[in-house]
Amino acid sequence: MAKSSGTAKMAASKKKKSFGEICKKNIGFFFILPWLIGFCWFKLYPMASSLFYSFTDYNLFKGINVLGTLQNYIDVFTTKKIVRALGVTFRYSFITVPLKLAFALFIAYILNFKIKGVKLFRTAYYIPSILGGSVAIAVLWKAVFRDDGLLNTALGFFGINGPSWLSDPKWAIFVICLLRVWQFGSAMVIFLAALKGVSNDLYEAAAIDGASKWRQFFTITVPLITPVIFYNLVTQLCQAFQEFNGPYIITQGGPRNSTTLISLLIYNSAFKQYDMGMASAMAWVLFVILMIFTVIAFLSQKYWVFYSDDDGGK
Amino acid sequence: MKTKFIKRAAAAGLAATMALSMAAVASAEADYDECTITISWWGGEDRHTATQEAIAAFMEKYPGITVESTYAAWDGWEEKMATAFAGGTAQDVNQVNWNWITQYDADGTTFLDLNTVSDIVDLSQIGESYLEMCQIADTQAALPVAMTGRIFYWDKTSFDEVGIDTPKTYADLLAAGEAFAAYDEDYYPLALGEYDRMILMVYYLESVYGTDWVIDGELQYTQEQIEEGLNFIQGLEDAHVIPSIQTIAGDGASSLDQNQKWIDGKYAGIFEWDSSASKFEKALAEGREFVVGDYFPDFGEYQGGYTKVSLAWAINGSTEHPKEAAMLLEYLMNDPDAAKILNSQRGIPVSASALASADEAGLLDAKTVEANGKVLAWASNALDPLFEDSRLKSSDGVYYDVMAGLSYGDYDVSEAAEILIDGINDVIGG
Repeated sequence: MAKSSGTAKMAASKKKKSFGEICKKNIGFFFILPWLIGFCWFKLYPMASSLFYSFTDYNLFKGINVLGTLQNYIDVFTTKKIVRALGVTFRYSFITVPLKLAFALFIAYILNFKIKGVKLFRTAYYIPSILGGSVAIAVLWKAVFRDDGLLNTALGFFGINGPSWLSDPKWAIFVICLLRVWQFGSAMVIFLAALKGVSNDLYEAAAIDGASKWRQFFTITVPLITPVIFYNLVTQLCQAFQEFNGPYIITQGGPRNSTTLISLLIYNSAFKQYDMGMASAMAWVLFVILMIFTVIAFLSQKYWVFYSDDDGGK
Repeated sequence: MKTKFIKRAAAAGLAATMALSMAAVASAEADYDECTITISWWGGEDRHTATQEAIAAFMEKYPGITVESTYAAWDGWEEKMATAFAGGTAQDVNQVNWNWITQYDADGTTFLDLNTVSDIVDLSQIGESYLEMCQIADTQAALPVAMTGRIFYWDKTSFDEVGIDTPKTYADLLAAGEAFAAYDEDYYPLALGEYDRMILMVYYLESVYGTDWVIDGELQYTQEQIEEGLNFIQGLEDAHVIPSIQTIAGDGASSLDQNQKWIDGKYAGIFEWDSSASKFEKALAEGREFVVGDYFPDFGEYQGGYTKVSLAWAINGSTEHPKEAAMLLEYLMNDPDAAKILNSQRGIPVSASALASADEAGLLDAKTVEANGKVLAWASNALDPLFEDSRLKSSDGVYYDVMAGLSYGDYDVSEAAEILIDGINDVIGG
């Protein structure tokens, strides 16, 4: 009896120990549990719902019917308005992403020099990124770009009759693009951190060999910060394709839908037409487009991105 | 003498009825729960201030009831509220647009049936015909605050500068276009956005043909008739009566009342709801004279145009405090003190007691009274609530597309008419 009691105690202790071990083993899981719950509830569930809705005719006030077909997706690629919005989104992204990256890198490069008041300049250049798409920015942008605004008044001094920036479909897209490029601060800060990581020895050696500043920039700086350029490229591409604030606050997608980006159309479809089914389908098409570009960017890495553990890069 | 006696007797009778019904309401209100209720509305600064003041007076009258307010300007408001209605998260008491009743309360469950709280809210203060306008699915979904219609307003100072009188007829308006162009190419006698153009076109067509725009869910105008209306609008633009849509967009203003050209008198006229024209008057630069215009008798044989419920108050169908919400509604609609605070911020009240109180105290805006009188006396057509459906009138809707497309030259008149008819039929056909 005593023997059997001792065995039971040992078994219990073993069991207890193994539970403790399990806890210890999975401590990492417990730490990320709050994030996992948040992710499932706020990301995974809405994404799964929207995927389901994209196969329905869900209207906020009329209920829901499962279509059982790809009709919404077919409509995305056959409705003139949506195809046009996709075209505008591509145009917007392909204009703003290279410009923003080039501008952010250029300013970061300048601000990396030891010049007087550099901290002030860094702050000043970062401020537009904080302002984002606010009402104040809308007012400012309209004051600059309206027909008799600051820009056309300035052009007038040189005898140039400026265009209707906000109301001419040919020009309005550039106003929206400029807003995005102007907000280059966050990309600039990341570039600046990368530039700080480039060893001075390399520049000194290059200078001794007679390399000009431009040569140093293209043969030392750029290759060494390609991982950061890659990171900025992917994040900026994702942000540009999802841009909403700029056109929403400044042009509301006008004139004549020339600044209606796909995300604005998704919003209009969901919250003005209440057509959640179509809005969900458009959102998923946007997601797939972004995935394709991201995959292309990742696959292209091996051709142009140099990591320190690449043993000198490819 | 006899007539005078009858009038006095009728007035005394009405006063007695009002007093009795209000006394009945007062007894129903006597006990209530301490709670917090919420309210939402949109509007301009003056409306915000007046409504907040009225709510503060309500909380003083009913200690224990706390009212939390949510309010903003119109931009983006409907999207916000539509989502709240669909998600069941709307405030307890909500200022609603007339068309919201058909759009968001088709089955009569989004808003509380006010007949269920008629012991608290005195429905008898509002005429039966007005109440009917806010009924759906056998429920009293909301209470109309005021009736309104579109009418011309002029910046008389601009017309004085140009040297002509404000238009009294369509011919005068066309002549004004010519005179303004000769004075300065940047000056126009009238400014109309996309939706304004749509409403003016309907007013014109109803004046010519005398038929309501939509009856029993069917558009009453043919392609040819609508083309005639679109030609009328395009004719105004061609005659320098109204600026093009591109010109207005190029002004970079978020709304016409905030447009510098309106403020400075370069745009000298508007076609606006009588209930919301005061914001245009307030926006004008100092010293400019704002006058109410007249309907044009030479548009056609009929008195076109329509009146509609300007705004209404509704209670959320899923409120946890229907009684207290109803008390707030009753206060805002019928209480004499509230009427004096709110005066004509939402138009001329249709509530008999509110109108009497505000009028007695001389608190109604004289121009709003004048304009409302003209609107009610002239406009003879009925409006289908779906005319204002957001799928048609939002900046993403058919009205904007057609009117802007026509003005930009993207559509010819025939194409524009076709798109308009298809878009309208899509909405009214369900």
